[in-house]
Amino acid sequence: MGWMKYFRRARWARERAEEIDCYIEIETAENVERGMAPDEARAAAQRKFGNRQLVQEEIREMNTIQPLETLVRDVRYAARALRRSPGFFCTAVLTLALGIGANTAIFSIVDSLLLRPLPYPQADRLAQVSLEYRGQGGGLITAVNGRIWELIRDGSPGLDKAVYSASVTGINLAFPGQNRAEFARQQRVGSGYFRVLGVAPRVGREFSADEDRVGGQQVAVISHALWQRVFAGDPGVTGKTIHLRGEPHQVVGVMPADFRTNSVVDVWTPLKPSTGGEGEGTNYHVIARLPESLSWAAVQQQLAAIWAARPRTRRTNQVEEYRLIAFPLQASFTRDIRTPLLILWSAVGMVLLIACVNIASLLLARAGSRSRELATRLALGCGRAGVVRQLLTESVLVSAAGGLLGLAMGYFALSGLEKLAGDLFPVWQPVQVDMRVLAATLGLSLLTSLVFGLAPALHFSRIDIHGNLIQGGSRGHAGRANHWPQRFLVVTEVALGVILLVSAGLLLRSFAHLRGLDPGFDPNRVLTASFSLQDARYKDPVAVGRLFRTGLERMRQIPGVESAAVTLSLPFEGALNVGFHRLDGPAAREQGRTEITNFTYVTPSYFETLRIPLRRGRVLQNSDSASTAPVAVINDAFAAAYFREQEAVGSHFSLGQQQVEVVGVVGNVQSAAGWGQFGPFGQVPFIYVSSEQAPAKIMDLAHNWFAPHWVVRGTGRAAALKAGMEQAAAAVDPLLPISGFKAMDEVRAGTLAMERFMMSLLAGLAALSLLLSGIGLYGLISGSVLERTRELGIRMALGATFGQAVSSVVLPGFWLTLAGLSIGLLGAMAATRVLRSMLWGVTTTDPLTLGAVALGLILVAVAASLAPAARILRLDPANTLRHE
Amino acid sequence: MPKRDTPDMLQGTLDMLILQTLVMGPAHGHTIAHVIEHRSEEVLQVEHGSLYPALHRLEDRGWIASFWGTSENNRKARYYRLTPAGRKQLVAETDRWTQLARAVERVIRPVEE
Repeated sequence: MGWMKYFRRARWARERAEEIDCYIEIETAENVERGMAPDEARAAAQRKFGNRQLVQEEIREMNTIQPLETLVRDVRYAARALRRSPGFFCTAVLTLALGIGANTAIFSIVDSLLLRPLPYPQADRLAQVSLEYRGQGGGLITAVNGRIWELIRDGSPGLDKAVYSASVTGINLAFPGQNRAEFARQQRVGSGYFRVLGVAPRVGREFSADEDRVGGQQVAVISHALWQRVFAGDPGVTGKTIHLRGEPHQVVGVMPADFRTNSVVDVWTPLKPSTGGEGEGTNYHVIARLPESLSWAAVQQQLAAIWAARPRTRRTNQVEEYRLIAFPLQASFTRDIRTPLLILWSAVGMVLLIACVNIASLLLARAGSRSRELATRLALGCGRAGVVRQLLTESVLVSAAGGLLGLAMGYFALSGLEKLAGDLFPVWQPVQVDMRVLAATLGLSLLTSLVFGLAPALHFSRIDIHGNLIQGGSRGHAGRANHWPQRFLVVTEVALGVILLVSAGLLLRSFAHLRGLDPGFDPNRVLTASFSLQDARYKDPVAVGRLFRTGLERMRQIPGVESAAVTLSLPFEGALNVGFHRLDGPAAREQGRTEITNFTYVTPSYFETLRIPLRRGRVLQNSDSASTAPVAVINDAFAAAYFREQEAVGSHFSLGQQQVEVVGVVGNVQSAAGWGQFGPFGQVPFIYVSSEQAPAKIMDLAHNWFAPHWVVRGTGRAAALKAGMEQAAAAVDPLLPISGFKAMDEVRAGTLAMERFMMSLLAGLAALSLLLSGIGLYGLISGSVLERTRELGIRMALGATFGQAVSSVVLPGFWLTLAGLSIGLLGAMAATRVLRSMLWGVTTTDPLTLGAVALGLILVAVAASLAPAARILRLDPANTLRHE
Repeated sequence: MPKRDTPDMLQGTLDMLILQTLVMGPAHGHTIAHVIEHRSEEVLQVEHGSLYPALHRLEDRGWIASFWGTSENNRKARYYRLTPAGRKQLVAETDRWTQLARAVERVIRPVEE
């Protein structure tokens, strides 16, 4: 009823005005009939009607929506009140904006990676079929071997599944009849891979089961980006031939532009799985889509049955620790980043909480200093509800402004974070501030303002009107009792800040520890580039040997190059795992038992190029060739694992069909952690074999997964070096493109990217919390100075020293800081447990970190007390007394 | 803000009197005021400051409806007529009022034995 009128107000007002005009007309006419002069008649009529404005006003007011009008009035009033104290307003808005901005940025990342579904239709029905390890520590192994894949394939009817290889390798892509090649990233996937994900090729089709078996047709599906880059988006691309790894493949399909997996791929080829495929290792991954008819529980039962019925091997007792399960694909993809992201999320949550506590304490302080104004309003008949409403409106205004500003800050922070995070996380979908984030942010700011604005508002609607008005507001001791809520808030704030500071400090220490570890080689001025030997032309070891020799000769001729080498895998990378048998030495007790270790072939100059120290014996030499006895160099970790002191050199083990003699021991080089080691890198056992002597079978297998690298140490500009390397490689074989240039020192820095990311973000958040705690303390202390100005003046007039006055004001702040500090340190002990998996070389109770945090906080408390203390200094006791 | 209510008549009384006036047929504001004053033998003075808002209020509640017409001496005037809902309201209001009036009278007058 009233609603419609609200919008037709103008019309109503007109009608009413006209009606009143008519009334006056009629009344005037009557008066004239009674014999008055026209002018007088009109005046009398108007007199009789009374105050026309008032009547119209009252009618207009009936036509308004009362709450809306009140709201507008409240907002106006609140805005006026805030304008009167710009200091408070800016502090509050900035505080909130910082908290909300940090939250917006981090939540956008969390949302796009953890919360939003994978970019496939009905992504919640996708599973990664994995082995769950139920022994010590537990864990999930997503890789299976050919036999297990066949069991899954044949034993789970009704489950739509596909097998794929998770490794993406650089390969050479060439065109028939052209003497040029492109470097492309290739992934091998089984037939049905795209069907299971639920994404159809944009052009053409995916692989058939017939193409996806050993000896099947050579076909390829290409990415949208490659299609555009190489074929200029030619719709007739299907049926064309491309050379991958030197073998002709027919293009059968093109994926859509928005198709993404957790790695960047240019071209997919059939996996052609077999029982003993991929060197019999666990190099297959299985994805499955649950149909509507199958529940997760039913699938788990199916898989458990498959696992129970599998043919047993000798090592059954050990394998009982495993169980075959269907693990939600999204969770499987985000396993590694889940913990760090959740930690960050809780950290920004804490910063927001600190910001809110700060706002609440600011509001409390402010309401305290306005008690007189509020009391006046109460006395003038503005109800208690009115005062609460007004204070709430103010805090909602603050939070709306803070929310908007925070959103802008978050938006900018995100663009910076995205660069950082893009290298760390598989980014499924563009990380952006979207409607979800927007809604979350605005909801958050409204909630905070209501929760944290309500407490002070309710608190102050109970003001003692009489006391406040009679005694002049800012005087008396009534105000002092009201400090407890604010003190409590400041303690909370400090305690939360301490938890963040300790966490950041521990990560910082951990990072410094990792950064300080010896990489085992000299990474400076070393440039590497990879090339693919997954190439029909290099199946022959002789051809490979020739390539390495001539290539290295040319590389060494580049100006400024000191030395050059080839290696199958670089430091910090995961290496090829090979099985070997020990033939002598004390640990050959279990003859015939296969041991697994890390393997790389290198050219003899490798140790010199990377400056890896030799411990005992000799390094590889050019004389170690296909025609001499096979030798190997091992590292310290290998020697420690299998030999006692001094006896490693001269011992033997068998590798493939060869018997290999250990001729030297070199220092450990940091590589990807494995074998029960966790962390950004580890020091794992290694065998180095000359590229001339590497078993052909191992080499061939290795080139399926690894692209070898040219490694060059040289002075001069990296760009010149890079160009020189490209020319050298092209001169040796124009169809062998080199790519993936990496400077070793950058690679080294990159291994700690995640640690650096977490550390810098947490450090930033901790700094923010420290700043906010400082603001909170400052607000508390300066508020109490203001409130007690008169009292302090009197005291000093009566002979109290300046020192006594200052300490009476500043000391409470210190006690609060200490209280917050102690509570926070206790909280940190509990909270840092979740950090444990990210800490290296430092315990969660690291005294240095805790001490530094304590000291830092005390310094902040001192800084926060200085300004208010200085104000006391300027107090003029006489002046204060005069004002009495 | 507390609502302003001109306490020139008992709350609700004016509304009832307006409705009562309109029982006899449509009338414009001037007539309504006139009739009320006249029939109460000039005891009740209708302030126009409260008459027009009251008319507006009654129309808002759907008890009366308005239309533009011409007055006795051919001037434009806004006429009001009683709606069925208004008629019901008047009955209820009148009952309530008579009860109240009786009750007040009983209290004021000593009981005559």
